[in-house]
Amino acid sequence: MLRRLPYRVQIPLGLSLAVLLAAVLVTAITARVQAQNARRDTLSLLDRAVVLVIAQVRPLLAADDTWRVFSLLRDTAQLVPGADADQARLAILSPDGAVFAASDPVKLETGRQVLGEAWREQPLLSAMEVDQRKQLALSDGSVVLIDPIRSEDGQTLGFVFTEVEAAAFAPDWASLARTALIGIVLAVTVLVPLGWWVGKRMARPVGRLVAVIERIGRDDPGVLRDDVPKTTDPELSRIGDAVEQLMGELERRKAAEERALSAERLAAVGKMTAAVAHEINNPLAGMLTATQTLRLHGGTETIRLRTIDLLDRGLQQIRTTVAALLPQARIEDRPLEPGDLEDIVTLVKGTADKQKADIRFQVEVESALRVPSAPLRQVMLNLLLNALKAAGDNGTVSARLQANEDRVRFCISNSGPVLSVERFKRTLAAEGGKDPRGFGLWVCQELASHLRGRFELDTLETQHTCLLFEVPNREAPEGQT
Amino acid sequence: MPVNRRRCLAACLCGAASTAVSWPGWGAERLRIGLTPVILADQVAFLSRWGRYLSSRVGTEVEFVARESYQSILDLLFSGQIDAAWICGYPFVRFEAELSLLAVPLYQGQPFYRAYLIRSKAPSNDIQGWADLKGRVLAYSDPLSNSGWLVAQAQLAKAGVSTRDLKRGFFTHGHRNVAEAVAARLAQAGAIDGYVWETMRAQNMPAIAKTEVIWKSEPFGFPPLVVRKAQAHSQTESLRQALLRMGDDKVGRDLLVSLNLTGFAPGQPSLFDSIRQQAQRVPGSGVGS
Repeated sequence: MLRRLPYRVQIPLGLSLAVLLAAVLVTAITARVQAQNARRDTLSLLDRAVVLVIAQVRPLLAADDTWRVFSLLRDTAQLVPGADADQARLAILSPDGAVFAASDPVKLETGRQVLGEAWREQPLLSAMEVDQRKQLALSDGSVVLIDPIRSEDGQTLGFVFTEVEAAAFAPDWASLARTALIGIVLAVTVLVPLGWWVGKRMARPVGRLVAVIERIGRDDPGVLRDDVPKTTDPELSRIGDAVEQLMGELERRKAAEERALSAERLAAVGKMTAAVAHEINNPLAGMLTATQTLRLHGGTETIRLRTIDLLDRGLQQIRTTVAALLPQARIEDRPLEPGDLEDIVTLVKGTADKQKADIRFQVEVESALRVPSAPLRQVMLNLLLNALKAAGDNGTVSARLQANEDRVRFCISNSGPVLSVERFKRTLAAEGGKDPRGFGLWVCQELASHLRGRFELDTLETQHTCLLFEVPNREAPEGQT
Repeated sequence: MPVNRRRCLAACLCGAASTAVSWPGWGAERLRIGLTPVILADQVAFLSRWGRYLSSRVGTEVEFVARESYQSILDLLFSGQIDAAWICGYPFVRFEAELSLLAVPLYQGQPFYRAYLIRSKAPSNDIQGWADLKGRVLAYSDPLSNSGWLVAQAQLAKAGVSTRDLKRGFFTHGHRNVAEAVAARLAQAGAIDGYVWETMRAQNMPAIAKTEVIWKSEPFGFPPLVVRKAQAHSQTESLRQALLRMGDDKVGRDLLVSLNLTGFAPGQPSLFDSIRQQAQRVPGSGVGS
């Protein structure tokens, strides 16, 4: 139950309980020690009382003064533990062992023969046999002391008979309990509130530390540092230092995150720039070939016009790509036309010729095309260049553009090594991530996502690598070109 | 009324005279009275009060000297260290040639008292009289006490019990101690002054509750105050008059009540004839026929 309480309550409460427990333990031990010492103290007190009686009683015995001996014994017996409860008694015996006078004449009546007779069913020594102190432990726990009283010349004047019953040696548990109770009440009254106060004082820095920790991340670390309690306690100082260290670490981490975010933004800008360069570079090769064609065969009207149209559409594609980077520029894009595929094939013809690769294409358009031409031309150009690269020298690339009322599909395959699904995914990830070498496939995937279509590897085709780009046959989403 | 006025005037004149004339001389002229355990004389405050009262009446400082034994007081009296003594009738008759009566207290209006034989109230105590004291422990008061020794000797002899037949006999140096010795069962019976026992009972002393009277003597002359016949103090007569007139004023009456007495009388030696005759029958009493 104690562990469920707050730490700032546990400390004072625990300290108070410790005080109470200590008081109880000390009292119990004291009571035990007192109980053990009670018998020894009683016998020690008896020794002193007997010495006193012997010193005082000699002249009284010489004067045969029974009354004064009785008065002496009666007064002295008040010093002996248990006398007031009739558990201890003193007597002066005459030289023959009879009672001369006793502190309790009812138990030890005057003139009664004691020495040499049975006492509590136990025989006592005769007067002749008592030449020095005799201590008898009776079967009922009582103790009997018999001390001879001698004159200065060694004559036996009588004996001091002392009896203490077993009950007198027993510790006074009632008194001990009363003392213990007083001690505990005092401890509870004085020390427990003091312990509670000290405990609260000890726990106060802990509470302030908790408050500071709770505010980490919300408040200014500079303010929080001022609120960290300054204390001379080494443990609390360590905790305070640790909290300050934690706040420092968090500050450094936050700064690092901000730097990483800035770097990431710069990387994104660089990546976008590379992608734009890539997309611009792709039609440039075809357009350079077209200018070469125009230079060589520009005299022919048909070739000249066709080449100029090709150059115009290529430049329009570049313009559209660049305009996409300008938020304030909104270029109206035309819908895709069936001839755009042939146009793209013409643009990559130069690259294919260098590889001596064969490009076959097929157009199956059953419905009007409503998709924007720029992204689709960009996809077809990227995929053709990638396919040529994958097909390698003397390879074959097949492209097919299909369209119906609902969808527009561009499917391209090559005769190069078959691309596994895992490698296709790795390539996409590499192009979209850290690999700066190519963006063709990644751009296709982004455009498919943007046009709410799909771009994937056709897993049904196992002989060749076949990539499928499919989008809904409708205009681009609002605000996009 | 005129009488009261005269007494008041006389008292004032007496007090004024005492204050003006007698006080400086008190150190040399003081009158010392010895007390024995015939009364409960261990109350210092009472004795101081009584001493001041008598001083104002006598015109000389009066102080009391208490001793435990009769013999000590007699020694002081005969050596001139005290001027008067309150002793028992037995020492008076024993030393009658040297002593004269100063005053005799009146107990219940009479100059007599009785001696008691008391026993403890223990159920096992079957002592009914002097004859039952064989083999028992008997407490006496003082060897010079009539009720506390002489009567016991006479009655034991009369009952056919010798002192050797007692288990033990001892003196307690005072009648009060006799009662306490019997109450504590240090002794099984005790010879005590009846006036002291009754006074202790009137004062509800604990020892009385544990004792009971089993025998009372015939009346004896009350323990008297005596002075030496030779070299009597000059203020002896004034002291006598002061004692005799204690019943005349309230302070004196209060003191008498504290003493459990009704007054003092001049007394005659014949009051002690019964004691004298008894002492003559007791061997070794010191009183010849």
